[in-house]
Amino acid sequence: MATASPRPANGLQPAFIGGENFTDAEVMLRVRAGDESAFDFLVQKYRRPLVNFMYRMARNTAVAEDLAQEVFLRVYRSRQTYEASAKFTTWLYRIATNLAVNHARDTRHERPEVTVSLDEPDEETGTTLDVADGTVTVEESLVRRERMLAIRSRVEALPERQKLAVIMHKYQEMDYKQIADVLKLSESATKSLLFRAYETLREQLREFV
Amino acid sequence: MVMKCEEIREVMPDLASGLMAMTPEIGGHLADCGACAGKMEEFRRTMALLDEWKAPEPSPYFDVRLQARLREEMAKPQAGWATWFRRPVLAAALTVLMGIGVGLFFTKGGGIYSPGNNVVADSEVQAEPGTAVSDLQALEKNHDLYSDFDLLDDLEVQRDVVANP
Repeated sequence: MATASPRPANGLQPAFIGGENFTDAEVMLRVRAGDESAFDFLVQKYRRPLVNFMYRMARNTAVAEDLAQEVFLRVYRSRQTYEASAKFTTWLYRIATNLAVNHARDTRHERPEVTVSLDEPDEETGTTLDVADGTVTVEESLVRRERMLAIRSRVEALPERQKLAVIMHKYQEMDYKQIADVLKLSESATKSLLFRAYETLREQLREFV
Repeated sequence: MVMKCEEIREVMPDLASGLMAMTPEIGGHLADCGACAGKMEEFRRTMALLDEWKAPEPSPYFDVRLQARLREEMAKPQAGWATWFRRPVLAAALTVLMGIGVGLFFTKGGGIYSPGNNVVADSEVQAEPGTAVSDLQALEKNHDLYSDFDLLDDLEVQRDVVANP
């Protein structure tokens, strides 16, 4: 049985002890009943996957975090109407998908051209080329970043549903059933969608492999 | 059972990602079919390349910012009656109901622009005698006279009455 320990001094919610013994839907029902520590349990469990998902959809760490927070806020706002009929992750990723797609549409004309610079940190990841420690040469580092940019741009250039399917399958490690539920497709349609996407990527990334 | 090239190629992304285990049938086909073996190798390399795209960890500020946004959310007043109007289905239903109400109001003659009201309003204003409006008002009042015609028809004619005695 899950219980909430006393509120810690840092102001965060008390830990939802034993939450891992419950399904996400059961934890969400606790949230609906007013247990805020149960909500914190879900945030801790899904913050990393959601930020990663949003990062690959939005290409910017700050925006990805903002969108992931918005997903959690929407979950919190909808707690009273939550029905355990659908799998929690399906519901969560449907909210995330809607937000990410809307964001992409709203900022379609704001995205700068992807460039590679030796001196400046990558504005999307905040990382710099790792040439300072001398373990890799400038050329190696540039090639690595060019490959990274190629992957990002080719995935991003996929049709919207193919892109979503690839990100959920390859990076979120979701199976066909889960992806099909999120995208409201049949499993066979999802399988076919993914095959077409990977075929395109195989063709377009051939020069980098 | 012998597998066809199409069947093998369908499962190549899963095989290359390690999401599906290699079976003896698939292994046998790949050993015999150079085209499929080549394609499988390309899928493996593509999947390995895609693995290079790493996503950053959530920043240390993520939780702090989320907690702040949650506190703002909790501080908001509870949903009142106004929130009902933000529900699209309810708003649409209310619009339809209002439309029906307005439609009924006018079709039943209760509206402010209904002809009945205008006639009443006009008849209450006394026009100056001799004007066209005054004549029309007089004609309007004559309906009392026309209704009495039926009564006159019912009266027996007095035969000994002459027009000019």
